[in-house]
Amino acid sequence: MSSSSASAQDVDQVLAGGGDPVLELKGLHHRWKGPKPPVLDDVSLTLRAGQITWIGGRNGAGKTTLLRLAAGILLPQRGSVRLGPLTPASNGSAYRRQIGFLSAGDRGLQARMRVVQQLDYWGRLAYVPRVRRAELVADSVRRFGLEEFAARRVDRMSMGQRQRVRLAMAFLHEPRVLLLDEPRNSLDDDGYRILNEQIEQAAGRGACILWCSPRGEDRVIDGDVSYTLSDGRLERVQ
Amino acid sequence: MSRVLPWCEAMWGIIRRDAILFVSYRSQLVAQFLGPLFSIALFYYISHLLTAKSIHSPGGYFGFVIVGLVIIQIVTISMGVMPVTVRQELVSGTIERFLVSAHGPVNGILGTMLFPLLNALLSGLLMLALAAIVFGLPLAATAVLAVPVALLGTIAFMPFAFILVALVLAFKQASSASQFIVAGIAIVGGLYFPVTLLPDWIRWASDVQPFTPAADLMRHLLVNTTLVHPAVVELLKLVAFIAVLFPVGVMLLRASIRYGQRTGTVAEY
Repeated sequence: MSSSSASAQDVDQVLAGGGDPVLELKGLHHRWKGPKPPVLDDVSLTLRAGQITWIGGRNGAGKTTLLRLAAGILLPQRGSVRLGPLTPASNGSAYRRQIGFLSAGDRGLQARMRVVQQLDYWGRLAYVPRVRRAELVADSVRRFGLEEFAARRVDRMSMGQRQRVRLAMAFLHEPRVLLLDEPRNSLDDDGYRILNEQIEQAAGRGACILWCSPRGEDRVIDGDVSYTLSDGRLERVQ
Repeated sequence: MSRVLPWCEAMWGIIRRDAILFVSYRSQLVAQFLGPLFSIALFYYISHLLTAKSIHSPGGYFGFVIVGLVIIQIVTISMGVMPVTVRQELVSGTIERFLVSAHGPVNGILGTMLFPLLNALLSGLLMLALAAIVFGLPLAATAVLAVPVALLGTIAFMPFAFILVALVLAFKQASSASQFIVAGIAIVGGLYFPVTLLPDWIRWASDVQPFTPAADLMRHLLVNTTLVHPAVVELLKLVAFIAVLFPVGVMLLRASIRYGQRTGTVAEY
């Protein structure tokens, strides 16, 4: 068990002021192995409480790498990632507790577990207190329209249904930062509407949302701020 | 909020996950029962062919090798199965859940080892019960004390699994290395035959790993074999191996994850 030098109260203080910077990415640089140019070159981005930010860019532009750095899955080769007093390298557990992450594609689910088992499992990994876990799992099932599939094994669900489960996991522990990589993937109209509502609700409670997709028309709702990522650099478009 | 309770709940969540997955493949349950039964039967009949003068135990070679089979089961699972399991987690993307969770990747991987090891211990108990009930192995009155020793031995074996898992995370494959190591341990750990039969030039290898003292102690407690050193010395050896190897194993595991996080290869497969 790693110790954390910054407490949850410190994070609460930072997050309490609406519109204050929550997640700060500064001077991020990432280069994959080989003689290729860096996929991220001095990228800086500040996400504020209640703000919805969209980043677009062609395939391979570095959107997923940026989200993974923000989530703490990857550690910066140069630059910093900071959530109030927390950083992924020095306060990993406390940092990740504030993060909800959805990866692109359909990976990351335990194929033979049922939906409620999957959500309960994630609630445990996210250190959701026992007294709230059952309530949050039931709430997630309802909010993401999963009642009909709650007892179904994930490998017996359609791609769109699985995407709802993956989204429910990203939102379940009420994170302060939501990082969504192509969240619309495989969703039908109903799923699209649900995702819209959940993003707006999360922003309403002060979470900041960063989501990426290759094309502007994939945007779930109009973001407060939009960027494109190209040649390793972020450019604001709105 | 104390971190101990959420940590325990997360670990239990991983054990529960792996139990659900294990039970969902029903043929595994049958294989887990039949596999040991066939192994025991095989060695029971082989032992009738042998006059093992170097084994001083009421159970003869059969009693000696049964304990070796129990240990090999635990070793195979910790070193053979664990790297493959972690590799499957990489391929299926489920390791990402650990990477983005408060529980974290190191704790997550430690948790992934728990169900297979508990399963191996239960399987070992089943083997002993079958050997005693079906094949008439005379278990010693001290047999029950072998359970905590087996637990201690399992903890002592875990660092070797950490090292192999670290290799999987860094280089994305290690299965051939684990098979090679398990086979080597079976020889120098005296799991199928006493280490006194080994030539002098290799005998040292049986003293520098925890498998030999674990096997010797368990045999002594289960089937009354004679110990070369007093039991307390064997026990202290096991504890010393844990004290030295466990932190080293965790450190290597942590370092391999950090390396993957810096280079960006942590989620690659």
